[in-house]
Amino acid sequence: MTPLLTPEPAFDRAGLAALAGLLIVWEILGRLQLTIFIPSASSVAAAWWELLNNGTLLRSAGSSLFSLAKGFIPAAVLGVALGLAMGRFPTLREVLDGWINALMSAPLSALVPVLIALFGVRDTVVAATVFLFAFFVIVVNTMTGVRGTERSLVDMARSYGAGETALFARIYLPANTFLIPELYAVIVSVLVVALLCASVVQACERALVRWK
Amino acid sequence: MTGPVGIAIEGVSKRFGAVQALVDIDIHVKAGEFLALIGPSGCGKTTLLKCVSGLVAADGGRIVVGSRTVTGPGGREASLVFQDFALLPWATARENAEFGLLLRGAPAAERTAAARQALAKVGLAGSFEDAYPSQLSGGMQQRVGLARALAVNPQVLLMDEPFASIDEQTRRILQDDLLRLWSDERKTVVLVTHSMEEAIYLSDRVVVLSPRPGRVHRALDVPLPRPREALDVRASAEFARLVDELWQILKKMQ
Repeated sequence: MTPLLTPEPAFDRAGLAALAGLLIVWEILGRLQLTIFIPSASSVAAAWWELLNNGTLLRSAGSSLFSLAKGFIPAAVLGVALGLAMGRFPTLREVLDGWINALMSAPLSALVPVLIALFGVRDTVVAATVFLFAFFVIVVNTMTGVRGTERSLVDMARSYGAGETALFARIYLPANTFLIPELYAVIVSVLVVALLCASVVQACERALVRWK
Repeated sequence: MTGPVGIAIEGVSKRFGAVQALVDIDIHVKAGEFLALIGPSGCGKTTLLKCVSGLVAADGGRIVVGSRTVTGPGGREASLVFQDFALLPWATARENAEFGLLLRGAPAAERTAAARQALAKVGLAGSFEDAYPSQLSGGMQQRVGLARALAVNPQVLLMDEPFASIDEQTRRILQDDLLRLWSDERKTVVLVTHSMEEAIYLSDRVVVLSPRPGRVHRALDVPLPRPREALDVRASAEFARLVDELWQILKKMQ
């Protein structure tokens, strides 16, 4: 019953003017034909329109989304499971905390070439990269969430006879998946970075190793 | 429906690490009695309530609710009511009221019927059923908490400062509603409170706990006439005298 916030307009006038200015400068630079690396804005738009019309764009977006799902869904399932368990059982937390933190803070993008060496230039690399990027963030966030779950909710559930399984299913899981928009924000950003990393490295690989 | 049951707390002690929270507590609550537990902050009154509910295991002594010796949480005789309401923020009022029955494996139709009935008892029938806790005021949230406790049809209500975080006007209305429910439903009630007025207004007997370590310091009978919610008892001289008597006891203990 709280009134919804009125969303701010995505672009104000100054923003639109800046965007138009950028497009004009881009178009002029492109038409000057300084280098083949700067095509004009209008030719980019035409190419985009063509790719969209002949289905290449949608097909590619679809395949990217598919690899994203292939990496993210296992990461979410396993990450939430491990995070719940680590939040609930101190011994498990003490054993694994160091590993999880070390791997989470490791520069995972450096691992992408290793993954390519392992899996070749395929969808699997994208999926594996997405998995690695998402998994540790999900584990740590879920664990933190479980430890921060309100004591009284846990007491309440136990007072009605909830055992460990019911506590996980009815309290910890919903408390840590439905209520944390911040978690989703982090995961989505991380996924985009993962996808970009994998794609860029793959593109470089394809460009440099043309015979493969 | 089965009638109310008594509670026997015999020689109960509890220590948390170096802190002795409760020492040798003996309290017998009669079936259908409304008992208030009061004492300075940190006297262990909430710990004692948690021992009765089985959430905290006592180190020594024993607690019997009805005919069952308390060995852990989940006993069907008693329901808890929490100071912070302990409502699931992702569930509607009705789903919250159903939650105890859900955990006890009741079929869906039975849950819904019992939750509706309990919500009606606490004055939340109709459109409030589908409201989420964040859409309800504190007073209404605690009504949902009370409905959840009543939906499982317990013989005992264990209330942990249930109205402490609710504004004064709403609190008085809730207190009257609680008295009405108590006389309709004939439950045994143990109420932890830090409000002397609340203890005297609601209960048959006030047990005063001493500060750390918590011991039973005194018990004070409250012979005010009932139904108090209809008799304007707060305005009576006897009410003022009893509140003052309780204050004198608490003051000497500090």
